[in-house]
Amino acid sequence: MMGFVINIVQMLLLVLAAPLLRGIISKLKAWIQKRQGASVWRPYANLWKLFHKEELVPNTATLIFRSAPVVAFAATVVAAAFLPVLHPAAFLTLDGDIFLFVYLLAIGRFAMSLGALDGGSSFGGMGSSREALVAALAEAPLFLVLTALAILARTGSLSEIAAWTIRQNFFDVSTVHLLALAALAIVAVAETGRIPVDNPTTHLELTMIHEAMVLEYSGPSLALIEWSQAIKLNLLATLMIGLFAPWGMSLTVTPLGLAAALGTYALKLACLVIGLAVVESSVAKLRMYAVPDFLRVASALAILAVIFTAITKR
Amino acid sequence: MIGLLLILFLSSLLFLAVFAGLAGQGRWTRAFVPGFLICSLLLGLGIAGSCFLNGRTINLDYSGHLPFALGLSMDRLSGFFLLLICGLGIPVALFSASYAEHYTRANWKWYWSLVALFILSMVLVVVASTIFAFMVGWELMTLLSAGLILIEGDGEDRRRSLFLYLVMMHAGAAAVFASFLLFVPYAPALTLAAMRAAAGSLPAHLRVVIFLLSFAGFGMKAGLVPLHFWLPKAHGIAPSPVSALMSAVMLKIAIYGFIRLTFDILGTPQIWWGYLIVVVGIVTAVLGILYALAEHTLKRLLAYSSVENIGLIFVALGLALIFEARGLPILAALSLTAALFHTLNHALFKGLLFLGAGAVKHTTGTLDIEELGGLLPRLPGIGISFLIGCAAIAGLPLLNGFVSEWLIFKSLLHGSVLEPDPAVPLLIGAVALTSALACACFVKLYGITFLGRPRSDAAKYVVAAPENMNLALVMIAAACILFGVHPGVALHPLSVLAGTMIPNPTSPPEIASISRMMPLVAAAIALLVIVVLLLRKPASRSVNTWACGLPGLTGRMQYTATSFSKPLRSVFAAVYRPERKMDLEPPDEPYFPVNISYRSVRTTSFEKTLYRPIVDGVVAVARQLRRLHTGNIQTYLLYIFLVILSLLVVLRFA
Amino acid sequence: MGLFELAAAKMLSSAAMLLFGTVLLMATAKRISTCVYLFACQSAILTAEVVAAGYVQHMREAYIIAGMVLLVKVFAIPFALLWLMKKLRTAHDVGASLSPGYSVFVMSGLIILSFAAVRLYLIELHATEVILAAAVALILNGAFLMVTRSKALMLMMGLLVLENGIFLAALVTTFGMPLIIEIGIVFDLLIGLFLMGIFVFRIRDTFDHLDVSRLRGLRG
Repeated sequence: MMGFVINIVQMLLLVLAAPLLRGIISKLKAWIQKRQGASVWRPYANLWKLFHKEELVPNTATLIFRSAPVVAFAATVVAAAFLPVLHPAAFLTLDGDIFLFVYLLAIGRFAMSLGALDGGSSFGGMGSSREALVAALAEAPLFLVLTALAILARTGSLSEIAAWTIRQNFFDVSTVHLLALAALAIVAVAETGRIPVDNPTTHLELTMIHEAMVLEYSGPSLALIEWSQAIKLNLLATLMIGLFAPWGMSLTVTPLGLAAALGTYALKLACLVIGLAVVESSVAKLRMYAVPDFLRVASALAILAVIFTAITKR
Repeated sequence: MIGLLLILFLSSLLFLAVFAGLAGQGRWTRAFVPGFLICSLLLGLGIAGSCFLNGRTINLDYSGHLPFALGLSMDRLSGFFLLLICGLGIPVALFSASYAEHYTRANWKWYWSLVALFILSMVLVVVASTIFAFMVGWELMTLLSAGLILIEGDGEDRRRSLFLYLVMMHAGAAAVFASFLLFVPYAPALTLAAMRAAAGSLPAHLRVVIFLLSFAGFGMKAGLVPLHFWLPKAHGIAPSPVSALMSAVMLKIAIYGFIRLTFDILGTPQIWWGYLIVVVGIVTAVLGILYALAEHTLKRLLAYSSVENIGLIFVALGLALIFEARGLPILAALSLTAALFHTLNHALFKGLLFLGAGAVKHTTGTLDIEELGGLLPRLPGIGISFLIGCAAIAGLPLLNGFVSEWLIFKSLLHGSVLEPDPAVPLLIGAVALTSALACACFVKLYGITFLGRPRSDAAKYVVAAPENMNLALVMIAAACILFGVHPGVALHPLSVLAGTMIPNPTSPPEIASISRMMPLVAAAIALLVIVVLLLRKPASRSVNTWACGLPGLTGRMQYTATSFSKPLRSVFAAVYRPERKMDLEPPDEPYFPVNISYRSVRTTSFEKTLYRPIVDGVVAVARQLRRLHTGNIQTYLLYIFLVILSLLVVLRFA
Repeated sequence: MGLFELAAAKMLSSAAMLLFGTVLLMATAKRISTCVYLFACQSAILTAEVVAAGYVQHMREAYIIAGMVLLVKVFAIPFALLWLMKKLRTAHDVGASLSPGYSVFVMSGLIILSFAAVRLYLIELHATEVILAAAVALILNGAFLMVTRSKALMLMMGLLVLENGIFLAALVTTFGMPLIIEIGIVFDLLIGLFLMGIFVFRIRDTFDHLDVSRLRGLRG
């Protein structure tokens, strides 16, 4: 029973703390750039504002336009139910949920791409065409990374992989893990549309990917989109933590253990976020046609990771 | 009893073919023919259901009473495929009732009688228990579909495509027939049962030859790369309901033949068979979807996507063979179930999409997606069902395509954990690439065709779709949702069927686990959607699309299918080998040309480089052979005489 | 004590991984200076490896070698190269004849190949598979860089990577060559670099660029 409550709590944590994570990133970036920066709670205020605004819908739009953000949001939240956060068990688990998790995120992308095309302007088409490019090239390395870890842990469930990794010695991080982590980091950057693949704060239409897709959106729909994007970032960060550094998750459901787990989770998340902020402040966005090369690096790393599972297993 | 029903079903199809050909053209006939076809297909559905679900078997043998070996038999496997034929046949018949209305009287007659015969021929292949009946059905299937293609005109292009289709199909049929004939010295009669009994006594090298021949023959019919060349051409020009039957059902008959021969009759495979099939399958899948992505004619795009899905099915079949050869029956059953379920799913969504393409053609008059756009508000029923088809084929959860892809991934993962060599996990990457590209491809297809603004008058002034068409599409879309949300309905009987093909497995645990998980996920997503919809402010204001502050945004300013696929095409340019050619006139004055002509080809198919040497070789051999043809009758008589003489010599000394 | 030993052993086995990382990043690099930094990183990893090997094997002279490697490969050569680049004032791109994306695939292929090749000789050489494979991979990838990058400075980079591979191979198969030979190799490198620097200046002065693929014009 207690475990069930924890599962729900950790899922809600992923969903509700997502805007905070975004706020922290932009605060950190501001500090690195010697600016004051907005409050870390700003994304919540932004969501609140957008939810209460009037929604403008292009006159060519059909019901797809307004339902796409809702579907994307719902699918992203359900994907959160598969991630272990505080202890190596998730709200929903299935042997093979690594694939289901990725596909749930794909629902959101599919819906948003259609919503963008529904606006009837060329920006939407541009955005969804580029999103299709990034997604198509990022999916294979993502699957390969998950497969590599699944082969090591001999299970296809995210929670089970985390549980297996906890049982390993911290020093026994294998070559597979390092390669897979590098590949996943690139994929995560691409999937969540951060620099150097895409710039979430850009206002230049010709370079945008995700922002071009949502150009026509306003009001509550835009709020849902922003929120789902934030959740997606949180999900991928948590996925990295759960797969590569789950140490600290509490194996028993005790208040003390859970508090410690929450603390270590926050610490690990902070490390990732600082890394992201540093990268975003120091690296320029790639040209559109350099992005495939960047993702090919991820593919090559992921292929190496998978092949190393065979080499190290023998 | 059920055997009699089967006879009744077959003869009702035959009767309909004759009736449609002879009857007059009153309103009564026009309603009766489709209605009768649907009724007899419902009968077939009943028979199929009782064989597939309850495991009833039928065994009828008329060889004794007839001059040729005609025997019919049914088990779970044929029941499943009969279910596919009849299940898809019903919406196709319903759809055709409206679609065939614009035909001339003669064409209308031809259409219906050929459709009835085409379905009959496919049924015959599935229920045949003798090789004679199988091959008759197999050849008729090709010829009748060719006849149906001719109904919509016989221009030079169509004839050439059709010729290619017939040549490839006959080559395939020859390979299939040869693989059956190799059983002759060992089996007392060419029936499935006798061959199954004889399979154990076949020498090892003969088994290999039989396997390779059947793989080539059935693979050609199924459209495996590099033997897929005919598929987009033939499926692209057939009348849309017939394309639906060809893509959704006829390709699956090849899968039936392959499963029947390899799993049921031959049994005990070798590991390299599985690897061969997996490699061919994955190459087929990746190339198929890449070509689909670059294709902008609705039906040709769908045909290439069929190539992709056939590739995925063969990946799963190959895995099943690998697992069976390694002595892992549970995993083999899992992979075979995945293959069968993907067969079912592909039949559903590809049937839906081809019928949708037919509806688009019927209402707008064009299949070029660059001319379309904004169809969803004009054809709501078709648009929504088509969306479900696109999402299903892209493999999104809550729809049937996801479940079978998940099963394929899961069997690949099992393979990776067990296999010492790293090739199997890399396949996961390849399948993931395929499915991501499929996602991009169908976003393009749906977004450009149904969303945004119309790009031409054809798309703007659309006649309403007839109710029959809407109903046919909605029926299939409902099945896609059912199998996606509650896959257990189909998966449990399919795993029983897989169990009959592979010795002593228990049901794989994945089947129960995914059947439990999908309703949960569906409920969670539905709940969230409802909550959000309730909380969100319903009001919205319609405004002009943002055009950088300028007025007058037109349909031609939108992204086109060409521009949508451009980034991916440039990434995979090595596969597509696009050709661009710009000619200036006069060529010596590049800055003041009188005339500039620009030509670009998005894809130059690699078949050209692959088939050209073969064709050239055949032509060269034919040239040499022509020398034998002197035109003198005495010479021909001499040839005959020499052949007889040499045969006698061979018989004497062999 | 135990912890140090453990860390040293870990270092020996996982350093190979980091070496792969530097090599793959070199494949993706678009500017020569990035390659130089990556080379410095690679040499630093190599230094750590030498120290770890020395600790595990209880060899004093390993520390001397490590110090020399640190001095020459981590500091002297990269500084010299960066100085050269500043002096030369030519284009900074690596002149890739194969796009970075594909280079990465080829290089990973080479890494896999080296694993496959090394396995046959493991028992004879009594070496750890991962490090020996890393050494072979460095050699192959250095050669590959030399083949596919057309700028003279990149040819040098390829050579240096190749040399790092040879050094590593020597380290793991013999657990330290005699000190004098090590010193000889390092000085060889320095002389090589010196000569190459002179050449590069001459090429630049004669042709105004450093693209060796365009030296084809000399063929006459």
